[in-house]
Amino acid sequence: MSSITDGPDAVESDSAQRASGNSAVTDARISFKRWLVKTSRNPYVTFTSLVQPIIFFVLMAEVLGAIAGGAVSQSVQSGVTYVTYLTPAIIIQSALAAAAVSGIGLVDDMETGMFDKTLLSPMHRSAMFLGKVLSEVVRITVQTGIILGLGYLLLVLKPGASPAQYLQTGPLGILGIIVVTVIFGGVFMAYSNIVALVTRDREATVMIANLLTFPLLFISSAFVPLELLPNWIQAVAVANPITYGVDGIRVLMLGQDVLSVFEVTAFTGLWNTVIPAVAVLLGFNVVLGGVAVSLLKRASKSEVQ
Amino acid sequence: MCYVPMTLQQARHQSDTEGNTSERQTAIDAEDVHVTYDDGTEAVQGVSLDVEDGEFFGFLGPNGAGKTTTIKTLVTLLHPTEGSVRINGYDTKTEPQAVRESIGYMAQETSIDFELTPRENLRVACRMYGVPREDREERIEELLDLVDLQDVADKRAETFSGGMQKRLDTATVLVHRPPVVFLDEPTTGLDPEGRLRVWNYFEKINDRGTTVFLTTQYLEEANELCDRLAILQDGQITHTGTPDELKSAIGTETVTLTLQDSSEANQRRAMDTVRRLSTLDAVAIERTADGLTIEADNVRSATSDLFTELAAANITITDFDIRSPTLDDVFLTLAGEDDVGANGVAGDTVRSQEVSR
Repeated sequence: MSSITDGPDAVESDSAQRASGNSAVTDARISFKRWLVKTSRNPYVTFTSLVQPIIFFVLMAEVLGAIAGGAVSQSVQSGVTYVTYLTPAIIIQSALAAAAVSGIGLVDDMETGMFDKTLLSPMHRSAMFLGKVLSEVVRITVQTGIILGLGYLLLVLKPGASPAQYLQTGPLGILGIIVVTVIFGGVFMAYSNIVALVTRDREATVMIANLLTFPLLFISSAFVPLELLPNWIQAVAVANPITYGVDGIRVLMLGQDVLSVFEVTAFTGLWNTVIPAVAVLLGFNVVLGGVAVSLLKRASKSEVQ
Repeated sequence: MCYVPMTLQQARHQSDTEGNTSERQTAIDAEDVHVTYDDGTEAVQGVSLDVEDGEFFGFLGPNGAGKTTTIKTLVTLLHPTEGSVRINGYDTKTEPQAVRESIGYMAQETSIDFELTPRENLRVACRMYGVPREDREERIEELLDLVDLQDVADKRAETFSGGMQKRLDTATVLVHRPPVVFLDEPTTGLDPEGRLRVWNYFEKINDRGTTVFLTTQYLEEANELCDRLAILQDGQITHTGTPDELKSAIGTETVTLTLQDSSEANQRRAMDTVRRLSTLDAVAIERTADGLTIEADNVRSATSDLFTELAAANITITDFDIRSPTLDDVFLTLAGEDDVGANGVAGDTVRSQEVSR
């Protein structure tokens, strides 16, 4: 029956009339696809998601493992190889590399005018950003899977190592690791977008991302058990989201409470690490995400009185 | 079949389409628009516009005149501090979504996705605007033809020349066949050939019935394309009219003659001859170093009479030059009304730089 009223219009609208727009879900999917295609075509992405983790993983396992391997099996659990200990750090490092450049896409869109163009389209604004975030979640998920596989491969290839110890929590653990990694990624996606929205400058966004994120890895439980590190590093590590990301993944790999900055005993077994780590990361997400969203809202609105 | 009440939008939609067939309608209606930025800059100070459906309207002005601020206000990216804007009958402040769905806007920067191919860019744009799936492919092909990018439709846009990228940008703002298109300095930075091609597309779009609102700092462009134009200076419209109206408002045609015998006596004889010529309404006749300058409204049509009379009077012309006023003259004269007093002699060079930039 609506076709009756639409009929004559439909013909007219072929020449020139209003565009129809889509549902929010469709809008999110459009944006998601666009960013996924862009990501897959970016050689920098291939490098940071694939080449860099492999290099770091192999080098760190060999070099740091030679020094810290003994300390790890002493302080964490006997029989744990350094590769297993290092895997969460590499997962977090890659998630960090992916998330910390999230703002670049936004700055690029602002510089080319694509940002204004999408704002002017009938698209749902939140759906349009959700799509971009989802494409980054996919990227982080894929690279986490690759690194988990790589760690296992390193253990298999290494004489004397015990691959059986690699992932204590099984398939559910893999799912858990991905969830923790994505939540962790959210923190730095928000951070990167804040930098992007404040500076509106591509170079600054890249620079600040690199400047902060690399040192943060070392001021955490990523490479060496925290208790072996100087006091000031232990103190800073409490406020470092990387500590919680690494611990949250490490607990799922080792299957035992590994929370390094404070002691939680309210839950049982590994939940004593998982719950506080995830809670802290979610807290970071809420705070930084809130800032990013409000900045984004302001950027999307007109800048006049 | 039961009666289905129309929503307000449908009703308006229908009255729009009916309006198109019977009488002309206002596509852009701005009333006393002021835009003041947060830092106190009054970029637009009382601009009123009335652009009809199907018109090709130009907005001409030097850098910093407020062209981009005005166009951003028209397309809902900025809100007027004072005044109101209606596009296709929708108010930009209260119905921004309806405005957005009925316009195309091309920003000054080339707003395409450089990592995607032209076909992909157009597909994303089609989907963003909800072009029905069954129409998409046909429309994409049609637009690729229009902007002449069929050959490179599957190559990434980052490798393109500036002109090709701009053409792709033009195509992406047309996917939903908007009745009004806003183009902000679309040819800045293009080479002459690229500029001509882009002009050609704009004319094609306008021929299809689309209202085009274009800002430019190139007088030639405004002259070539626009039905009507407004000159914007310091946030205010100083003049509005057709290019010819603006030209005739300031000027007459001028013919400069070089005489073989440039003695004063001969020049005076020539001046008398010209004065006696009834077909030429000379406004002013002046002597120059080697001849005469004659200003008149109808120099071109009276040229042959002029030459015949001078030949009959035995005055030999060795060279001549006829000039009609250009928009540059208009612009310089109009700008000069404000500038010369302040800048004195330097005014002229300063202004011509502003124009050529």
